[in-house]
Amino acid sequence: MPLAVLSLAWRNLWRQRRRSLTSLGAVALVVCLSMLYYSIGGAAVNSMYSNLTEAGGQIQIHVPGYRDLRDFSAGLIRNAAQVEAAARADAGSGVVVGALDVPGLLIHGDRSRAVALSGRQWPDALRESYLRQNPLEGRFVRAGDEAGIVLGRGLATALDVGIGGQVMMYAPGTEGYGAGSYTVTGLVDVLDPSYASRTALISLAAAQTLAAPDAVSRVEVHFPSIRRVQDDSASLEAARRLQRAVPELSVETWRELSPMLVRILDSLRPVMAVVSVIFFILAGLLVVNSIYLGMIERIREFGVLMSLGASGRRVMGLITLESVLLCSAGALVGTAVGLPLVALMARGFTVPGLEQYYASFGMDPVFYASIHPSEVAFAIAFALGTGVLAALWPASLASRLEPVEAMRFTA
Amino acid sequence: MSLYRIENLQKRYRTGEVETLALRGVDLTIEEGEFTAVAGPSGSGKSTLLHLMGALDTPSAGEVYLADTRIDRLGKREAARMRLENLGFVFQAYNLIPVLTALENAAFVLELQGVGRRERERRARQALDDLGMAEFAGRRPNQLSGGQQQRVAVARALAAEPKIILADEPTANLDSETGHALIELMRQLNRDHGVTFVFSTHDPRLLDSVDRIVRLEDGRVTGEETRDGVARGEA
Repeated sequence: MPLAVLSLAWRNLWRQRRRSLTSLGAVALVVCLSMLYYSIGGAAVNSMYSNLTEAGGQIQIHVPGYRDLRDFSAGLIRNAAQVEAAARADAGSGVVVGALDVPGLLIHGDRSRAVALSGRQWPDALRESYLRQNPLEGRFVRAGDEAGIVLGRGLATALDVGIGGQVMMYAPGTEGYGAGSYTVTGLVDVLDPSYASRTALISLAAAQTLAAPDAVSRVEVHFPSIRRVQDDSASLEAARRLQRAVPELSVETWRELSPMLVRILDSLRPVMAVVSVIFFILAGLLVVNSIYLGMIERIREFGVLMSLGASGRRVMGLITLESVLLCSAGALVGTAVGLPLVALMARGFTVPGLEQYYASFGMDPVFYASIHPSEVAFAIAFALGTGVLAALWPASLASRLEPVEAMRFTA
Repeated sequence: MSLYRIENLQKRYRTGEVETLALRGVDLTIEEGEFTAVAGPSGSGKSTLLHLMGALDTPSAGEVYLADTRIDRLGKREAARMRLENLGFVFQAYNLIPVLTALENAAFVLELQGVGRRERERRARQALDDLGMAEFAGRRPNQLSGGQQQRVAVARALAAEPKIILADEPTANLDSETGHALIELMRQLNRDHGVTFVFSTHDPRLLDSVDRIVRLEDGRVTGEETRDGVARGEA
């Protein structure tokens, strides 16, 4: 593209400064809003992803058909240590955690509640993440501690027990001692209110002693550094390797574990794209108006250009270039404003009035805006595409002008 | 071989119910290196004749040959290419591109021709210099007088080194002194560069320095005169 043509096209844009600025501003606004929209969508998506995967990991290994099993023993992975070792070998940077859920009755004095006692390992990264969202009073679960238990505050209230109190766990139909006594070492304020009265945490060792020596209900693989859906490919690849390593077990990613959520997440992007398209169509109409009016005002000039030897295609190219330049400038301004705003929102923002609503779903009410480079490119590409499409009609009209008629034209 | 050969050229315009015969069968030849004026009153068909010579319009009948190549039935793209490679135009209303400087305007046709930037600039500066406009190279049209703008327009035509420059009433928007000066300048260029000029005018005072005058009235050639004083009869 010769510089002279670019220069001419750019200068032509500013012959009607106000009109061009209005169109440029519209494109900039749409690009900026698109980036904010994608980043907020990304924040919501990643919040849901984060919430899901922090709880249970990106990958879970179960016995096949575990969802339909009613027998506690049938759902156990008995060679837990070997499976965990295989998982560590194939998981790359993933953190491997064994977990044993023990159904039973938790008793304090004359009060009792049916619970699924959660016995699991808590590597540092996972413990920190859990406690960041679920504040703790007292001491958390320690590896190898056979006697300590952490209760959700709602459950503790229901059992009328506090830190230091003693609770009994009765787990019939299991393979360990089937019963155990534990000291409440901590109370946790669970983010999700529905779990507040169901949360009871002990160490994996304590759970295995109680219900299933050397066995686990599942092996979880967590990738704490993966906080966004877009960065999830490493976990998918790890899942494939793990399935090959343990073909007798069922290896599932978070997508198979939560298909409803996946449907929501997968539908978000097309919806966001459609909304973006609508925004760009509206901005595009302003650009069409600007380019068309500019073309009408310059019909005589186009007649002269053609008289001098410019082909219709050349005139069409010039008008299209002007439109693309206008939208490019708008995209540049929109990106220059939008990205810093996204960076600001990436530090964390809340939606006023909806904190409780999100907490009721177990979601962190603080969102962290997130935009993928492909989404930035998408918004810019849309702007450029708008420039091309907006010029099609006026450029086509101009290219069909007859030089003599055009030179006689009065607007 | 004549540079231009025009045979029985006719042009009708229809505006609603009214049909106007702008040219009624014009026969004309233009030789290379000539400095020719097409003279006649308003409405005589001068502009129509120049437009048809420049393949800017299509005749209703007749033929136009440029260097033995028929140009009156060219398609739009071929006509544009033909103009670009062979013709230069100067218009009554100057028609400079307002956002370009004088130098950039002078170089515009060269840019359309695909001439490289350095060569383009060299030829454009030379053309401006020939027209006495070198010191105004950096000015935009709105910073130039009418006469200066028209000289830049001539420079634009000249820089492209066409076979012929067609000028449609180039002095109509200028005062008489400036108009005279422009015609003299064009004459000088004709002598120095051998560029063929055909210009139209309704002002008889501008005919003193031309080689040949073709008189047009009511769409017909009514007479031709040459510098040697030989008058030719009605066509």
